[in-house]
Amino acid sequence: MGKTILIVDDSFSMRQTVGIALKSAGYDVVEASDGKDALSKLDGRKYNLIISDVNMPNMDGISFVKAAKLLPNYKFTPIIMLTTEGDETKKQEGKAAGVRAWVLKPFQPPVLLDAVAKLIMP
Amino acid sequence: MARDALVQESRELLAAMENALLEIEAEGVNAEAVNAIFRAAHTIKGSAGLFAFNLIVSFTHIVESVLDRVRNNELTVDDAMLSLLLNCGDYIGALVDAIEHKRENDEPNIARRTELENALNAYLEPPATTVTVTAAEAEESPVEVETGHRVGSDNWHLSLRFLPDVLRNGLDPIPFLHYLAALGRIVYLHTLTDAMPVAELMDAESCYLGFEIDFQTEADRKTIEGVFEFVRDDAHIRILPPHSKIDEYIGLINTMPDPGRLGEILVAGGALTQHELEQVLSEQQEKAIGQKPIGALLVEHQVVPEAVVTAALSRQKQHEDKKAHEQKFIKVEVSKLDALIDLVGELVIAGAAATVVAQRKKDSTFEEASQTISTLVEHIRDAALTLRMVPIGEVFQRFPRVVRDISRELGKEIELVVTGADTELDKSMVEKLSDPLMHIVRNAMDHGIEATDARVVAGKSPGGTLRLNAYHESGSVVIEVSDDGRGLNRERILSKAIERGLVSPDQILTESEIYRLIFEAGFSTAEQVTNLSGRGVGMDVVKKNIESLRGDVEILSVEGQGTTVRIRLPLTLAIIDGFQVMVSDAVFVIPLEMVIECVDLSSHEARHNIVKLRGEPLPFVRLRELFELPLLQHSERESLVVVQYGQQRAGLVVDRLLGEFQAVIKPLGELFQNTKTLSGSTILGDGRVALILDVAHLIQQASHLPTHLPASKTAGLLSNQK
Repeated sequence: MGKTILIVDDSFSMRQTVGIALKSAGYDVVEASDGKDALSKLDGRKYNLIISDVNMPNMDGISFVKAAKLLPNYKFTPIIMLTTEGDETKKQEGKAAGVRAWVLKPFQPPVLLDAVAKLIMP
Repeated sequence: MARDALVQESRELLAAMENALLEIEAEGVNAEAVNAIFRAAHTIKGSAGLFAFNLIVSFTHIVESVLDRVRNNELTVDDAMLSLLLNCGDYIGALVDAIEHKRENDEPNIARRTELENALNAYLEPPATTVTVTAAEAEESPVEVETGHRVGSDNWHLSLRFLPDVLRNGLDPIPFLHYLAALGRIVYLHTLTDAMPVAELMDAESCYLGFEIDFQTEADRKTIEGVFEFVRDDAHIRILPPHSKIDEYIGLINTMPDPGRLGEILVAGGALTQHELEQVLSEQQEKAIGQKPIGALLVEHQVVPEAVVTAALSRQKQHEDKKAHEQKFIKVEVSKLDALIDLVGELVIAGAAATVVAQRKKDSTFEEASQTISTLVEHIRDAALTLRMVPIGEVFQRFPRVVRDISRELGKEIELVVTGADTELDKSMVEKLSDPLMHIVRNAMDHGIEATDARVVAGKSPGGTLRLNAYHESGSVVIEVSDDGRGLNRERILSKAIERGLVSPDQILTESEIYRLIFEAGFSTAEQVTNLSGRGVGMDVVKKNIESLRGDVEILSVEGQGTTVRIRLPLTLAIIDGFQVMVSDAVFVIPLEMVIECVDLSSHEARHNIVKLRGEPLPFVRLRELFELPLLQHSERESLVVVQYGQQRAGLVVDRLLGEFQAVIKPLGELFQNTKTLSGSTILGDGRVALILDVAHLIQQASHLPTHLPASKTAGLLSNQK
């Protein structure tokens, strides 16, 4: 069974780049344009991993993670934050919400794929 | 050359020996100090033996024999022995002097030698016979590689203990193991379930597992650690290298050309990752177990095998020894350094000129290139100046002995406390500082600190304390000599000064002005001329010496509690970082270290020469008025540059701020010798001359200007803004 990854980013080109990288590694990809959109897409599907931006309109990444963690189906889903935000306080905030993997933009596709490989259930 | 090296090394060892002896005298016998003394004597003997300087060898041998018995606890160190050993140290010093003057076969003082030898032999039963040592005894032994680590096979061993919350944080152990398996072969995996509680207490969302893994791979430690990158905070991870790796690490460490600190050596050798190092370092800080060396911690936590740590430590030591050795041999003529610094000064000026041209050409690549060069020149300047910098410890070093001898002579109990010995200052200053400091110290011991019975009567501890302290403060070096003696007697100083005609009886002087009087030529309040001070050379010489270094002296004193003499010296004599300001059409330079901040004057309430800055009154001077420069039309906005010297602050009002600039100090011509507000001149990039302001004098001037305001009004100005 193929594994599906949800990409949450307000930038279309970023979603596209991440999507290409993931698809080339054999993952299925679903895209969401912000936290709110992503939350609505959590219903009814099972994602093996979520990749999310931090700064987004409507609902930012950290709030989205907090909300997702409250849903029974997503409590244990591994989450990677893919962001330009390298600030330590933001990272701590993410950590408190349950995010351990933090990949900085601009990203190298191998680095992101490596992070995914470390976190996703085989 | 070799002879010089021997002389220098021996002197350093003698100084170390003397310090250790004084330490024993002050704090009682400790094995380390005794060993240091023994080692000093032993090494001097060994090195002198290489040159067949037999006079020094035979004498040191007896000293060493006595020390050996002390080391073996066959003899106890008492006062008499300490004095004897100090005297022996002096005699060895005399023998070393003889070597320096190529008179190594002449006994400096045969009677003295016999006397000392007899005293030493009294400690030896039977007396030691003189021997000639022909070669330094080899003490180095090759690094022993201990390989008895518990990892038996040639596998990596990983211990993983996941914390309960790991699943809730979106991390599952399985992907990590899966990923690990992609790097090599998991030879053996044991799942630990001992943390698992009984079923009813078990939380299905928590993780209770641990794994012990034997792992075969070509990957290095960093890669393996990288697997667990995200789970670091949610698991205890320990990675033990295989057998063959240990040898590899040791091999790598031993071939490292320039090892730094222990942790860095291990990281560079691959035995430790940066992350592991940081973790152990932070633990070391947290638990305040700083006494525990990092090496011991690494072994204790089984992060790095002991054999590897040992190898790294010995590599480090080898290198340090080598470096220390090299350091002793670098001798450069001062004139060469001075020539270099002169050239660097010219380079700074030429660089500034190039920058100006670049800016005018408006060519961005040119500007960038000239910027890069300026940065490099700045580094070269700093490096060149540090060549002349030496720790003040070189001067302080001689005082323990001086204080000891003088306090015995005076029959006073005086303890010396030295702090800030590693504060650096210009070599030329260190040399010129020695005499004034000696004078101040003697003065403090002689006149400052009271005799024991007088101290007891005054309710003080019977022993006096003398402190030597040095530190950096806003662009200058401060050296303090303080005692806890009787302090200065204001009335006595004043009456003496009046008697000598230095001041007129109706003059009103502030406290610091009265203290300043003791720097006047021929001033001495000591009622009795002693052997030590009061020999006609007074504090005036001290002051003159310090002023010749562009520094100043200040005295703080509390009657009955003590006196502090504070010497303030400029950090460097040649080049400074300056801050350029413009007044009218003239450019002035303020030493950057003295600039605290710049504010817009018009946005603050200012009256006469006081401005209110964040609720605090600050005196200021208008440079345009001070230097009587014409008012130009375009300078309507005035800026206030806040400067600090010592503890005092003041503002300087200027027309424009031009920014930072490296200033090569050129002395002012003789015509300007008496100009108090200027300390020098410098050449700007465009060839114009700028004057360097003497901030110390300007601050004084600002605080003494008449305010034209009664005190009550000034207070009103400040309070109605609250």
